[in-house]
Amino acid sequence: MKTETQIVSVNPVAHAVSVEGVTFTYHGADSPALRAVSFTHNAGEMIGVMGASGAGKSTLAKCLNRIVPEFEDGDFHGAIRIAGESIEVLRVCDVAPKVGMVFQDFESQLFSTNVAHEVAFAMEQVGMDRAEMDRRILPALEAVGLRGFEHRDPMSLSGGEKQRLAIASVLALRPSLIVLDEPTTDLDPEGRAEVFELIKKLRGQGLSLIVIEHESEELRAADRIIVLREGEIAADGPPAEVFARTELLTACGVRPPGLGHAFEMLGIDAQPKNVEQAYDATVRSFPGVTGTTYDSIARSHVSEQTEPTGNAIAGAAFIGIENLSFSYAGGPRVLDSIDLKVEAGEFMAIVGQNGSGKTTLAKHIVGLLEPATGRVTIDGKDRAQMRPAETAREVAYVFQNPDHQIFAATVEEEVAFGPRNFGLPDDEIRHRCDEALEAVGLQNERQSDPFLLSKGERQRLAVASVLVLRPRMLILDEPTTGLDHREQLRMMALVRDLNRAGIAIVIITHTPWLVAEYARRVVLMRKGAKIFDGSVREFFMQDELLRSSSFRAPEITELSRRFGTLALTTDEFVAWVKGRA
Amino acid sequence: MPIYLYIDRGTFVHRLHPTVKVFSLFVMFWSVYWVDNPIALLIPIGLIMLWIAQLTDSWPNFYRLRWLFVILIFTTTLMWMVFYQRGTPIFTLTLFHLAPHSLRLPLGSYSRTLHWGGHPVALVVTWLSIKFGIGRGIKLAELLAASVLFLSTTKIEEFTYGLQRMRVPYRVSFAISLSFRLVPLFIDSAVTIVDAQRLRGYDFNQGGPLERVRRYVPVVIPVFMGALRKANNMAMALEARGFGFSHEPTTFIEYPVTAADVMAFAFLIGLGALYFMLYWTGLGGIGPVK
Repeated sequence: MKTETQIVSVNPVAHAVSVEGVTFTYHGADSPALRAVSFTHNAGEMIGVMGASGAGKSTLAKCLNRIVPEFEDGDFHGAIRIAGESIEVLRVCDVAPKVGMVFQDFESQLFSTNVAHEVAFAMEQVGMDRAEMDRRILPALEAVGLRGFEHRDPMSLSGGEKQRLAIASVLALRPSLIVLDEPTTDLDPEGRAEVFELIKKLRGQGLSLIVIEHESEELRAADRIIVLREGEIAADGPPAEVFARTELLTACGVRPPGLGHAFEMLGIDAQPKNVEQAYDATVRSFPGVTGTTYDSIARSHVSEQTEPTGNAIAGAAFIGIENLSFSYAGGPRVLDSIDLKVEAGEFMAIVGQNGSGKTTLAKHIVGLLEPATGRVTIDGKDRAQMRPAETAREVAYVFQNPDHQIFAATVEEEVAFGPRNFGLPDDEIRHRCDEALEAVGLQNERQSDPFLLSKGERQRLAVASVLVLRPRMLILDEPTTGLDHREQLRMMALVRDLNRAGIAIVIITHTPWLVAEYARRVVLMRKGAKIFDGSVREFFMQDELLRSSSFRAPEITELSRRFGTLALTTDEFVAWVKGRA
Repeated sequence: MPIYLYIDRGTFVHRLHPTVKVFSLFVMFWSVYWVDNPIALLIPIGLIMLWIAQLTDSWPNFYRLRWLFVILIFTTTLMWMVFYQRGTPIFTLTLFHLAPHSLRLPLGSYSRTLHWGGHPVALVVTWLSIKFGIGRGIKLAELLAASVLFLSTTKIEEFTYGLQRMRVPYRVSFAISLSFRLVPLFIDSAVTIVDAQRLRGYDFNQGGPLERVRRYVPVVIPVFMGALRKANNMAMALEARGFGFSHEPTTFIEYPVTAADVMAFAFLIGLGALYFMLYWTGLGGIGPVK
């Protein structure tokens, strides 16, 4: 195993970084992406940067290593200094040894066919000699927990490992500052946990870090939080202070930590850093909440939830999957004897680690893959006998990346593409487009260029473009990935409305709070097998199952479990505490 | 399923110096270029390729691309068999008679009258065209096979290094080798996009050949936009890793020149010379054109 010395040996010489009155306007934009942003990053400090999409977070990150304005055309004012020295005259590659940057898209930042060589890549670029590279590679891999992976192909690593490798290759240059721009957005819960564990460890080593992140819970360990709103700093202070301002956070499109929000609603003046602290603070303020027996309350909740809920029509299986197994050519089994029924009007979440078979299962439902054994039925009909176009009218699939389908010149044409393929008359197409665009809130963007919409809007456009076929079931693969909190809420409100209108919903997701707040049934996949199928409440009561699947319950649910009950949302927990007080 | 062709094995071909590997690709192309005779294309170069494929365990890559090989050999052979039209006909199929046409170009003192037609248009198959067609099919398959063998045994870093040693500027050699890495990613993305459009009821198989090509617009645009975005992200990530800092980056991996490299180099020179001699003496051709 590694020694402390080895980790310390990759530590950079930290320097203060100052951002002075930075304003940047992208070429052709009406308003600046950053407006007179100023702050000082002290050596060894960790700053968390938050804000809605378009608030200027990534622009700020790119300013720190000169990608803005070197790469992005626009008008730049202000200064950035590292150890008192301005970087204004430097190129991006000149700043690389001083400021390391880790991007969200981990596939685009790996260039080699071997892990050790990937770490060496940046050192090769700056002309370091081979002996020095040799001295730095193993400690860098040690620091990110990838020692022993030296000869692996980076493409064979998991998402979390790839992102840790990207961090190692930055660490090897020993920069003054490391900037991580939403490093976990595309990762599963296990990958996220790995990366944030590493960030904590690096912070403990005294590295200077700036971490851009949507989830406030992950930034509690930071020294400071900077919240950006429309390019300006709306808040800058210690996490306890900033996270207490829930109204401001919400106004800035940031999801307040669930525990802090609950405390504010309960009038408890504290900012708990974890569930243990929250438990103690709740007991101090509401002594009456203790003494409840776990089993009685949890069971009472379970009995409430196992009854038919929402629009599910008991017994009317819309999708039937019997003994489904599948392998890609020459590969291992990806799905193993799956039996599953989805009822009309249901709201189901499929969860599990990357590679567990979630998307493969969904692709069988819509007919993109054919089972090796077993069969899929849609409304009693064998799916294998249905043409893809016929299936599309029954079950629609929204891909994780909306850009995998957008091609038309206007929003309206994009939505009309589906019905045109079915040869519907123009009047009918127009009527359906109006209906679908209205449903997703894009009725005023009919003539807009889809490529100029925000990610959240493009995601809603993708929903509209399949909704227009009036399917009876919608499968959404990671519908909230890459969206800020405001866009996530809007997207999920849309999905909930569609479910209330009678459309069965299946979401594939890694986000615990989304499962807790919206779904009614959970299917957990592991290594191609279905290992849990039941209500959301039952699911979050399975401690061992959750732990072994690297799936954590939302903090508010964990807190409620400490009191012997099971609350899925902040509102539910607050109501329970008030009821006991 | 792996999206890259490199197969990590410890064979002597894998261990060859990158410059020798890049040179071997060049020699394979060179040798195949000079001859048309199917026998000369098969012996010895075809056999050498088969031996390397066996030695380096590259068959899985050939299996992955089997349909490409079949289509390439079949269509090329058939096309040249029909259009080569030299030698004594062994089979003639008259399709139609093209009426005589003329067109006067009024260009003052340079006026000319063009004449065409007035003869039958027929498919003529000769022994020579069969030989030539088969030769062309094998030639294209061997060009593809040489590339597959090269990518099965050469890492991207070795490719870059090999090109650099052949005096190709670092930026150019890096870009060339990176493009090999990107192609499988774009193919992967195109497959997802085809799936997405099929699920919107789109049928890619409607209409004639031109219409079918046109129907790929809903795939080409998202692939192109995705490629631009990916290329932009990669460019930013590259510069953020110091790409461009030095015109002569150092290399982490040492590539010592061994006796095997020298022998392989000498063998390749001999192979290239042999094929040029086959061309020079006419032995590599398909025989006299009558």
